[in-house]
Amino acid sequence: MSWLDAFVQWTGWLGLDYRFLLDAYERGSFVAGAWVTLQLCLCTMAGSLAVGVALAAALVSGRPWLAGPTRLFVEVTRNTPTLVQLYCAFLVLNMLISEVIGGANPFTPFAWVVIVISLHKGVFHAEALRAGIEAVPQVTLEAATSLGFSRRQRLWRVELPLAVRFALPSLVNNLIELVKMTALASAIAVGDITYASILIWTQRDNVLELMILILLFFGLLSFVVNCLGRGLEARLRMPGYGH
Amino acid sequence: MPSNDSCAPLIALRDLHLSFADTRVLRGIDLDVQRGQAVSIIGPSGSGKSTLLRCITGLLRPQRGQIRVGDTAVHELRSDAEFIALRKRVGFVFQQYNLFPHLSVLENLTIAPCKVLGRERREAQDEARRLLGKVRLEHKEHAYPGELSGGQQQRVAIARALAMRPELILFDEVTSALDPETVGEVLRTIRELIEEGMTCVLVTHEMRFAEEISDAVYFTEHGVIVEHGSPRQLFNEPRSPRTRAFLQHALGRGERERRPLVPAGAAAR
Repeated sequence: MSWLDAFVQWTGWLGLDYRFLLDAYERGSFVAGAWVTLQLCLCTMAGSLAVGVALAAALVSGRPWLAGPTRLFVEVTRNTPTLVQLYCAFLVLNMLISEVIGGANPFTPFAWVVIVISLHKGVFHAEALRAGIEAVPQVTLEAATSLGFSRRQRLWRVELPLAVRFALPSLVNNLIELVKMTALASAIAVGDITYASILIWTQRDNVLELMILILLFFGLLSFVVNCLGRGLEARLRMPGYGH
Repeated sequence: MPSNDSCAPLIALRDLHLSFADTRVLRGIDLDVQRGQAVSIIGPSGSGKSTLLRCITGLLRPQRGQIRVGDTAVHELRSDAEFIALRKRVGFVFQQYNLFPHLSVLENLTIAPCKVLGRERREAQDEARRLLGKVRLEHKEHAYPGELSGGQQQRVAIARALAMRPELILFDEVTSALDPETVGEVLRTIRELIEEGMTCVLVTHEMRFAEEISDAVYFTEHGVIVEHGSPRQLFNEPRSPRTRAFLQHALGRGERERRPLVPAGAAAR
């Protein structure tokens, strides 16, 4: 613990109050909050990508009864604030579910955050994927057809690999936004890093110090996602295209 | 080999009609290709030549008429499985190459044999390397399409079609997107295939090449066959004034300096 002591002392000289780090309980709740944020990120990334693929498939299906309602859902979802959606889901939907099935409501606040953010970001993923799918040249697909590919083979071997490459920069962009969006969880008292910090600073009045930590934490998380995304782009790069 | 005899054509088109919306692209096409023949289709742009080729391999469906490829009545095919069976036998080479840009040259050549024909990976790779040697690109197996010149890409596309061991190959203006210097390397590859006895149908604007390698030449305009015959007859003694006008125009542009245009009827050597 000596390095923590040194850190608190050193920042103390700069006029910053990080003494909560020396309190095992408060330190523990902060670290737990960081862990919850990390879990939120991982769950919503997986969830939003799954939603995005499903919605994109519906949008380009060419079936009006499927594409029409999906388009409506996309427009409503991306044109309303996520915070409002979260309140609606948690305060209205969740309450209705609780009334119907009583105390056994399986949806925790954590689950609602994952659901709402997954749907919200999934909509943006879907539009990015749709752009990618529509950018695949028709003649390339015709070539696959002429070689005897079945529809399924054509989709999985040619269309999707190319569409994902075209959509990747937008998808990474969305995922970085998603990381930052998880701070919304604090609005319905999910114990993420933001909520844990609020609890600490209402006791200690050290808002600036905690803000610095939160910003560094989210900055680091976004940076990791950014690096992974760039790495994936480099790995999937088609030589001779782009630069 | 189910080929019954020499007189039944490998490809037979009868009275083919096809329209896109209000545009009548094919207006009654008859065409025969014997096994082992090289047949060229020439004519002005927009005369339905590429459409014709796409009908043969089921990429487009005519509204009327009959298409036979060997024993297969293409105009009667309905299910995906039937079309796939046809396309395994018919190679297609496109004007814009249409290689898979996310796959290496070797993978471009092996994906269809492995996934469509179910061939062993190693066997497919060995075959692919042999074919790359044949089109003189053996050193490019790890390159990606985007790293190759147009002529190289087109030769890879030809090798990709060959990797399926097709009974015949359709070439759709395969040199039209190439610069004049690389046209030669692609034509050389096609010429070697024809000399080996591969059945080829070529839509082309390379008149001299068509004249040299074809067993028969068809001239199309406005969706009909205006005239067909041996290359010597068609190029030197065209019967139709429209063919004559087209050839005068086509040969006059690119090839006048190489061959003085001889008046029709006076060119028999």
